[in-house]
Amino acid sequence: MPGPPDIATVVRDQAASWSSVTPPNAVAEKLAEAFADTIASLSALRGGLAFEQEPASFLAALQETKEVAP
Amino acid sequence: MNVHVSQSLALGNLTLTEAADAVARGDVSSVELTRAALNAVAARDKIVNSFIWRDEEEALTTAAALDAMQRAGRRLGPLHGVPLAHKDMYYRAGKRSTCGSKIRADFRPTYTATVIERLESAGSISIGGLNMAEFAQNATGHNQHYGHCGNPWNAAYCPGGSSSGSGASVGARLVYAALGSDTGGSIRLPASLCGVTGIKGTQTRVSRYGVMPLSFSADNVGPLARSARDCARIMRVIAGHDPHDPTSSTEPVPDYEAALTGDIRGMKIGVPTNYFLDDVDPEVMAAFETAVGVLKALGAVIVPVTVPHMDAVTTYGSLLSRVEGAAIHAQWMRERPQDYAVHLNARLYASYGIPATVYIEALARRGELLKAVAEAVFSKVAAFIVPTIRIKAPTLKETDIDAGAEGSIEFFNKLSVNTRPMNYLGVPSVSLPMGLDSNGLPMGLQIQGRPFAEGTILKIADAFQRGTDHHSKLPPMLS
Repeated sequence: MPGPPDIATVVRDQAASWSSVTPPNAVAEKLAEAFADTIASLSALRGGLAFEQEPASFLAALQETKEVAP
Repeated sequence: MNVHVSQSLALGNLTLTEAADAVARGDVSSVELTRAALNAVAARDKIVNSFIWRDEEEALTTAAALDAMQRAGRRLGPLHGVPLAHKDMYYRAGKRSTCGSKIRADFRPTYTATVIERLESAGSISIGGLNMAEFAQNATGHNQHYGHCGNPWNAAYCPGGSSSGSGASVGARLVYAALGSDTGGSIRLPASLCGVTGIKGTQTRVSRYGVMPLSFSADNVGPLARSARDCARIMRVIAGHDPHDPTSSTEPVPDYEAALTGDIRGMKIGVPTNYFLDDVDPEVMAAFETAVGVLKALGAVIVPVTVPHMDAVTTYGSLLSRVEGAAIHAQWMRERPQDYAVHLNARLYASYGIPATVYIEALARRGELLKAVAEAVFSKVAAFIVPTIRIKAPTLKETDIDAGAEGSIEFFNKLSVNTRPMNYLGVPSVSLPMGLDSNGLPMGLQIQGRPFAEGTILKIADAFQRGTDHHSKLPPMLS
């Protein structure tokens, strides 16, 4: 049974199928490969944030945390 | 009136507020200031390449009209008669706005950005469009279409980006201030590397109507200028709700300049114990420690703080602008990928591989992460400080991804590690000069506070500039 595809292949398939965008150069493939680190970082976050399932609004948070007149 | 070279240099070395106040008193005319700026551009822009286009005739005509208005007893506002220039992504109806790109080389919008209207309503003059990273998407100063922008302190070095021309033109004393934009550090990085002061406000603080978008969630408009006081004056003019930009805040805009008392005695200022000081270059660290000492001597109380969840902030923060930028550029990436520089179409391409679920996750966590940081940090201190950039200024050559320079991608990524988190958190952040490294290139101190605490961080920056002379030092080309 073949192993999972590498990140560059996943990005190539997703970019082509969902956005009709193809890799423009070798640097693009290299940057796609760098997502392996981002994916690892995301995996490490899973379950680690206490508020993970709570609803949230960024604009409300700006108001809630704003500076009151000094 | 003809302005002699020596007078041009003297006028050019004023800060924006000094120049505006001199016009207000009638000590100098707007035409004299504008001619001095145009002389400076003619003499020095060949070194830094900070302009993409100029409209000298219109600038002088506007200056003459403003002088006539003042003689008739009428003034437009606090920037009356002061020549500026802006990153070439602020739309003016009928005027060219290249966005630093080949794709928009001949783009002429049919409407004008709100911030440009506000600056001009306050009396400022625009003398042209400034060089920038193509579509505001790199941190170094490279531009394949209009020529690379050089650092005014040494043109072989990066001026920072993406507002490279804004930093270089203000640093080279060509104009008194310039608008930049900041999605991951694009105001603060050139401010740091070019030895000037630059602020991005709270997310939503300044209208983005008529401004080329890069990231709907993280784009900010703000000034680069010669002092915190200069930035305070411009922020007062440009901040505030705009009916054309429904994302802009209705929060009242205070008189930032009036709050610059120089007195920060007893103010609690945080120094992070985690993340922001990791792997900082020893020279940058020494300058930062000296800056901490200056603030302490001014009466601030320095408090160690731990900024929580930095792993989440940096991971999610790296995704937002990439996905949104990819969505904005999708049509051109399908039809004209060859018209982008290599580093840009490569970066855009990879972003099409980020799943929507992860993007939504990054958006959904943003408010809660801000609240967690506010609770852990801003409940203890009014602001916290970090070096704007952890490394010494790199050269244009060693950061040239398009030329295949070894390690260039790593340099690219390192530049924004201390700036980008503030965009994700949405907090205001200002960079100001804190000294020169052993190569003679500027280093920046970055101050950030709670949402809508622009006045507080500018007050700290102003106090620091009253106690130091880093911001008034001139690059070798001027000394």
